[in-house]
Amino acid sequence: MSTTTTDVGLDVLAQTGLIPRGTRAFVFERIFEVFLALGTAVGVVVIGYMLYNAYKYRAGGGRGSDADRPVLGELPTGSGGGRKLFTSFFLSTVVVISLVSWTYGTLLFVEEGPEAEDAMEVRVEGYQFGWRFVYPNGHTEDGTLYVPRNESVRLVVTSDDVFHNFGVPELRVKTDAIPGQETETWFRAEETGNYSAQCYELCGAGHSFMTATVVVMEPEEYEAWYESTEGNESETGNASTTAGATAESDLGGALVEVAG
Amino acid sequence: MNTKLYTVIYVVLFVSATVQVLVEFAGLAYWTAFALIIVLSAMKAVLVAAYFQHLRWEPRSLTYLIGIGLAAALALTFAASYSIL
Amino acid sequence: MTDSAPGSGGRDDPAHRPDGGQQADASTAAGELTVPARKSDYEEAASEFPSMGSIRRWFVTTNHKDVGILYIVTSLFFLVLGGVLAWLLRIQLWAPRTPTTTVLEPLAYNQAVSAHGLIMVFWFLSPFAFGFANYVVPLQIGAKDLAFPRLNALSYWLYLFSGILFGVSFFQGGTFAGGWTMYAPLNVPTFTPDVGASTAVLALTLFVASVTVSSVNFLTSMHTMRAEGLTLRKLPLFTWSILLTVWMMLFAFAALLAALIILSSDRLLGTTYFALESPAGSMLWAHLFWFFGHPEVYIVFFPALGVMAEVFQTFTGRRIVGRKWFIAAMVLVALQSFVVWMHHMFLTTINLQIKTLFMITPIGISLPFDLMVFALIYTMLKGKIRFTTPFLFVFGALLLFIIGGITGVFLGAIVLDYEFRGTYWVVAHFHYVMVGGVTALVGGLYYWFPKMTGRMYDEFLGKLHFGVYFVGFNLLYFPLFVAWETPRRVFDYSAGLQVWHQLATVGAFVLGLSFLIMFYNLTKSALSGDPVGDNPWEYATTAEWAVPSPPPLENFPGLPTYRDGSLGFREESTATDGGVATAEAATPSAAHHDEREEHVSHASFWPFVVGAGTFLLFLGLSGLRDASFPEGILGSAYLGTAALGGVVTLGSLVFMGLEPFHGPALADGEAWPFDGLEYGKVGMWIFLASDVVLFGGFIGAYVFTRVAFGWTLWEPIPENPVPGLVNTYLLLTSSFTVVLALVAAEKRNRPGLVASLVATFLLGVGFLGNKAIEWNHLFHEGLWLSSNVRASTFFLTTGLHAAHVIVGLVVTLYLAARAWRGAYLEDSSSVEYFGLYWHFVDIVWLFLFPLFYIL
Repeated sequence: MSTTTTDVGLDVLAQTGLIPRGTRAFVFERIFEVFLALGTAVGVVVIGYMLYNAYKYRAGGGRGSDADRPVLGELPTGSGGGRKLFTSFFLSTVVVISLVSWTYGTLLFVEEGPEAEDAMEVRVEGYQFGWRFVYPNGHTEDGTLYVPRNESVRLVVTSDDVFHNFGVPELRVKTDAIPGQETETWFRAEETGNYSAQCYELCGAGHSFMTATVVVMEPEEYEAWYESTEGNESETGNASTTAGATAESDLGGALVEVAG
Repeated sequence: MNTKLYTVIYVVLFVSATVQVLVEFAGLAYWTAFALIIVLSAMKAVLVAAYFQHLRWEPRSLTYLIGIGLAAALALTFAASYSIL
Repeated sequence: MTDSAPGSGGRDDPAHRPDGGQQADASTAAGELTVPARKSDYEEAASEFPSMGSIRRWFVTTNHKDVGILYIVTSLFFLVLGGVLAWLLRIQLWAPRTPTTTVLEPLAYNQAVSAHGLIMVFWFLSPFAFGFANYVVPLQIGAKDLAFPRLNALSYWLYLFSGILFGVSFFQGGTFAGGWTMYAPLNVPTFTPDVGASTAVLALTLFVASVTVSSVNFLTSMHTMRAEGLTLRKLPLFTWSILLTVWMMLFAFAALLAALIILSSDRLLGTTYFALESPAGSMLWAHLFWFFGHPEVYIVFFPALGVMAEVFQTFTGRRIVGRKWFIAAMVLVALQSFVVWMHHMFLTTINLQIKTLFMITPIGISLPFDLMVFALIYTMLKGKIRFTTPFLFVFGALLLFIIGGITGVFLGAIVLDYEFRGTYWVVAHFHYVMVGGVTALVGGLYYWFPKMTGRMYDEFLGKLHFGVYFVGFNLLYFPLFVAWETPRRVFDYSAGLQVWHQLATVGAFVLGLSFLIMFYNLTKSALSGDPVGDNPWEYATTAEWAVPSPPPLENFPGLPTYRDGSLGFREESTATDGGVATAEAATPSAAHHDEREEHVSHASFWPFVVGAGTFLLFLGLSGLRDASFPEGILGSAYLGTAALGGVVTLGSLVFMGLEPFHGPALADGEAWPFDGLEYGKVGMWIFLASDVVLFGGFIGAYVFTRVAFGWTLWEPIPENPVPGLVNTYLLLTSSFTVVLALVAAEKRNRPGLVASLVATFLLGVGFLGNKAIEWNHLFHEGLWLSSNVRASTFFLTTGLHAAHVIVGLVVTLYLAARAWRGAYLEDSSSVEYFGLYWHFVDIVWLFLFPLFYIL
């Protein structure tokens, strides 16, 4: 595994499996499953209880006396039953708060992202209607993001024109692309293949078709491709050699780690 | 309804408006001058509201009412500005 | 638990309950007047008022019940319009579309999706609820009408004309196509150049004007016109829900107004707040919009909650469990709704501290809803539940709301929210909540229909409507949860989800067509349904059921009072003859209302004309781009329309001011927390509170933009603060002269009053003249509204203030002219209220001057 975290305490917690760690897709699936299971259970119980009582206390069902019914013109008051109300309220509070606090640990994990030296960085620029990916060496790809398998990728996302939102649903990565602002996010893909990226904020006539492809390659394959782009860049223009060099060493380090 | 009181308030307002601009030219550090100027504005606003708008003599609920609006506006301003710092 | 309800046979039939079924103890004080009211107890209504069947009545009426019906009918029209747009969307989504196989062109789809959202949220949901509020709230609080009946009619006409204006926008090259959230900078003409997009923004602005007028009116009425004994804590839950809704509206819509005025200015005058080159224009819009947008969720949902509580109580025959906690929960939600807005912005650049804070507050706001849901469920226990149409709808609404609420908790976990952002999970969730609310309101329509028409709807058709509606609803929205991976507002979704989208499309047609059953049922029943008495519903408690159906113009046979713990009617004559009622109020204007035989007026033509005038004005303004009209005939037409609209608006407002019109007299009931204050003063202060938020929005936008720009890098636009200082002197002096005017009026000193008002006018003109010189100077230096964002904030914020000054000067001129002819010496309240406004404008300047000139 390439992820190394210095925070041992959090790491231990993660080891217990209480707070899911791993790729963002894994984290999402785990939390979503728990929410879905609990949500369905609560929904079924509450709605079931509601329907049961609606049937049980139907008029003509022989229950309930006329002793204390509301009267026209009375000043409104409440009925008793406060204890039951507060018990249920308390239970729901516990469920909701514990669920959300549980996910807060994951939020910190997701927010922190991979350490800078462990991750490659790509700049993502949205425009009407497509995505541009700028690599550290200055190479720009339009419409396709190439990344190596099993490596954390940090995205710095912005927009040339209107408010977009860059998301790759299968990799569970998403962030706003805002003109004049830079948002950051990250992901790691565990399997090679093509994934589709999509705009998630209405941005104009081409919104539906504002897609891009994320190509996850074997690290060696990626490295070869990346080398070739450097060649292109230096042919066409005066690419900054330092940027290229840094990128190379970053990549090298990452590759060593993956191999290790 | 006391014309003399209103006149006194008016004079105070007039003078403090002048002082406010003089603070700007006094050559103080920016944020010191900033604080002074805002405090002077707030003071004048309170005087106008309390005396010219008679809030001093009205039920306190009217003051709270405006206070709620002010709190909402300040919450928006500060939280929004802080969020991008 | 084992009660078997002996002897309850026969009373279960709601439609045929004898009027005499009420306990005698309900009315004791007046002796002759009974609860429920008898028709013979009412005095003859003003005969000059046109009858219900007359077309003229509906243009001139200011009566709250008529206005309520107008709101309901109009909002249902917009439901159909928004619904047809939804059908178009669902047809497009029947299959994933490539650019060549679309039914709607991409841009047309975006227009439909935006217009559907805007129409449903603004022109259908809230006005539908406010139809009930208009009709029912005055009855429930024991008032003859709202405090300002003409302003109420004006709210309606502004609403209707704003909706028509929105309709016009479709024909000006296309309406707004940037989604109902109108994110920047897609919302500026660089990216949405159609004139219709400007018109849509202006239509929304006009709608907000309507809401503001309405909020002031409702708040004044609900706080100061309650019957004796009806303290806030004793208000029925529907009225409570409306009270809190209106409070939220007052502040939230003021923030939206700020956002929309700025947006209109960007679109029409060329300021650059939201433009691409603005330092944080997108973020600024998101903040302003969601500061309004989140309270708006509760603004549309609270009335539904109120209807649910009322209908639950009536049809379960049980008082609401934990009623006071229910109220406390609503109050808590209303307060918290203003501190949750950034949870809509989790994927923007806001920092982690803010994210954490805004993760906690929405959870805090979801918990009170749990309590309300449980309170409603437990109310059914030991009840005698009758599954009438209103109850079925409200019961269904609760069920849908539970699903909506649970799926909302998913969004409260930020890690999940990150992935749900911009997907159909959000779409499905908020439709379950919002259309769940609609479900309750439809229940409310059936519930109050007999009250409004005096006739019963067809119960079988009502239940059929519910069945088809409920199936259609779930068929439409539940599959969207399954297909949640679909990105919002995208019609090229992944093929695997097609079956779910097709189910949803079928559901959309089932849901939509179910309303045909309702329209048929209600139309037919209004004409020929079984007549009902005062109260067709056993166990209904609120006051609207104690008067005839439909209630007479002035609602009650006497003065409603809860002095003895339940509703009674006092003979009104004893109150007015003896002066008992008004003695405590002891206001300067009390004498004004003391004339005998003075009936509340119910008719004024001017609100309609004002509405038409503003419609023309805004339609004309829509042609503006970069502060100029286009060349040629079209430009002249726009200019002419705007000018005509301006003249009509101003003229009709003056006529409205001059028209003799008697609003309801100051009541002798509960008025906490505004005891002892006249309606006019309360109304003015409430309006000023919203104006505080409006200017707060502008100043907040300035501060935010300046922070994003770098606070100390930002140079003030005017190089010289002296003209600003001179203007400060002028405004402070004009405030002083307004105070002198009030002193003169109270001393019945006509020359003093006129002289002070004229002096105020001249000082105000001096202020504007000085500003004109200053602006002209800046223009000559090459600075213009669109030069940069610094210039934009300077010109627009001080311009908004100048507009307030101009409005003040028009009023001053009006007051001076009337004072010259001897007005205000008896009753100086108009001068006083104007003074409150003018001093407020002064106070705003006290902050604008340092912020824009010296800091």
